[in-house]
Amino acid sequence: MILKRIAQLAGARTLFNGSFSALARPPPNYEGHIPLNPPERAILAIGNLIATLGETTATPYFIYRLRDVMLSSPTGRRILRDRPRITSKTLDMDQLRKLPDGTVGREYAAWLDKEGVSPDTRSQVRYIDDPECAYVMQRYRECHDFYHALTGLPVIVEGEIALKAFEFANTLIPMTGLSMFAAVRLKRGEQKRILTTYFPWAVRNGLLSKEVINIYWEEELETSVEALRERIGLEKPPDLRKIRKEERARKKAEIAARETLGPS
Amino acid sequence: MNSLRYLRQGSAAVFIPLSSKFPVGPQLLLRKRYYATVTNADLYDVVVVGGGPAGLSLATSLRSSSVTAGLRVALVEGLDLAHARNWKSEPETYSNRVSSLTPGSVGFLTDIGAWKHVQRDRVQAYHGMQVWDGVSGSRIEFNWNSSASETIAYMTENSNLVHGLLSRISELGGVEIIDKTRVESISFGEDNGELDLRTWPVVEITGGRKLVARLLVGADGANSPVRTFAGIESRGWDYERHGVVATVKLEEGSRVGVEKTAYQRFLPTGPVALLPLPGDFATLVWSTTPQVAAKLKTLAPDEFSAMVNAAFRLSHVDIDYIKGLSEGIAGEVQWRERVSQFDYTRVPARVVGVQDKSVASFPLKMRHADSYIAERIALVGDAAHTVHPLAGQGLNQGIGDIQSLIETLEAAVQHGQDIGNSSLLPFVTPNISNIFSLANQGSILSLEPYYSAQYFKNDLMLGVVDKLHKLYSTTSAPVVALRSLGLSVVNTMGGLKSLIMKQAAGRR
Repeated sequence: MILKRIAQLAGARTLFNGSFSALARPPPNYEGHIPLNPPERAILAIGNLIATLGETTATPYFIYRLRDVMLSSPTGRRILRDRPRITSKTLDMDQLRKLPDGTVGREYAAWLDKEGVSPDTRSQVRYIDDPECAYVMQRYRECHDFYHALTGLPVIVEGEIALKAFEFANTLIPMTGLSMFAAVRLKRGEQKRILTTYFPWAVRNGLLSKEVINIYWEEELETSVEALRERIGLEKPPDLRKIRKEERARKKAEIAARETLGPS
Repeated sequence: MNSLRYLRQGSAAVFIPLSSKFPVGPQLLLRKRYYATVTNADLYDVVVVGGGPAGLSLATSLRSSSVTAGLRVALVEGLDLAHARNWKSEPETYSNRVSSLTPGSVGFLTDIGAWKHVQRDRVQAYHGMQVWDGVSGSRIEFNWNSSASETIAYMTENSNLVHGLLSRISELGGVEIIDKTRVESISFGEDNGELDLRTWPVVEITGGRKLVARLLVGADGANSPVRTFAGIESRGWDYERHGVVATVKLEEGSRVGVEKTAYQRFLPTGPVALLPLPGDFATLVWSTTPQVAAKLKTLAPDEFSAMVNAAFRLSHVDIDYIKGLSEGIAGEVQWRERVSQFDYTRVPARVVGVQDKSVASFPLKMRHADSYIAERIALVGDAAHTVHPLAGQGLNQGIGDIQSLIETLEAAVQHGQDIGNSSLLPFVTPNISNIFSLANQGSILSLEPYYSAQYFKNDLMLGVVDKLHKLYSTTSAPVVALRSLGLSVVNTMGGLKSLIMKQAAGRR
């Protein structure tokens, strides 16, 4: 009650959005929208639904910030005006596969094929009240696979964490930051690599490069990844696959060496 | 003999108005000696420099008060007042120089008989006020009880007010208005042995004529030459903001049956306000950076209207972006209005047109003179203080000065004091004190009450307005949260709000 009162007084709709009972839920603001009150928001955030967690934690402040980032850029504004969706209908995957090596479209298609997913596997945003901000969240989600193409980070847990760290520094969406705690599940060697190599890279590039949310991917499909990286000021992270391969080779060699030495 | 000499040198001067209307015997007797070397025409009780609203209000009130009506008054103005005197209003056309007059100020103007000369059908009273934070959207609403429907302020064109004051002055007669005339220099008079005018300011005007003032009033604006002559420092700072003004036309009949309301939104670059004029017209005051002000002045009318609509409806991020556009402003605003969330019942009606040549701008400053008084000198209005326009208090402060100064002068005249005296120390006027001083022991401090009544009141207003400007010029999240909480708390407290309203309305 007191919290609700403070929320009302603060009038900061960006911080405390709406107060109503579950029995009198207001009508949706856009297709698929489910209005939430703060307790529901908290419960859903705690309940371990990853997408939901992303939406509910982004709502106070962060999604508005990301929307404002887009509103401050000509391209970002164009995206908000057009509200393009990335689906298998809007993107011709066959066409993308035919693009030259090293182009954004080709790399993106390659990622999806390798993972065996399609652009349609991204879930629908439901719990953000402002239709425009809901679109921003949707856009962020749908663009995630393009970030893999842009950075070259592989879709293994280690690569995913490194990419999330970059996204967090770049978008400040809390969910991406929370994902980094997944690092505790990594092996010790992987943890060390994340902490000493990839986190510093993610923080530096996430903060210094231009905001990736403002890339109009649909217009960059034929651009070379190299050129795009250069344009937004992003340095290529160390090749994770290569490092892992070398590491494995080194370990194998060690084991082999130990075995040849035998029980001395 | 000894004691008489003491009185002659140590007592207060007796005040004798110079006007022949003053029916006092000794004065006539005195005059022969008094004007032995200075011609009658040169001596004035009050010389007002500046023929703006403040200077004219002072001249009017001096003449309309039965106590001070006997004073000999001259007013010097550099511009030609014929234009203001013959002001012919055009219907559906409003000047971009409009002031918000509080009921207190209007009460004073009524008392001095000037308000009845102001064209009332061109004055717009408003009863409600919406003020909100351009970052968080938190809001404070002021509405007098709709049943009582009391007025918060009256939007009045300066030209209408000046015309009214000039009409009242010519009705009263007796003020020597010297317009189209500049003040060339100000100096002190001399002691010619018979008449010691060493403390009397002498105003030399174009053409070489000299006006000798018992009291010189500087109503001569922010760069007051009178203040400079008095050696009074004016301190403060420039806001690095310009106030863009314009007369705009609102969507026709958009607010039928709705009481006239003033709107003000605090954007990080400065507040933007839309204040009602009669009919579907309104006056805009938009404080913003000099660059944006320059840009706004170059916009085509439909783009200008779109920018004003954006200023009250869109997020500050949007406004920042759109004002940088070189084309397509109207289309951009249209799109953003469609997708932005705002309560259309709590923003002003849409601006659909801007009056030709009404867009102008001026730099915003905060200044306060160290003092309002010096020996035989008083400063009023902008000569004494310049305030940020966000509270609409500039002219009201000036009228407050006049009101206080006239009360001070009335008291001085009634007590036989010399009206020009600002000093705590007794002083001697030319050779006459020995005759009249006996009754005036101790009544010396004639201008001091004006200073003490107005200075701290104005200083408080300047300070509060300055802090408001600073508080709202940041987008820092914790500051925004705190100020929003504060504003909303005040908004829920009816008692405090009506106290603020009373204060702002200058009720007497």
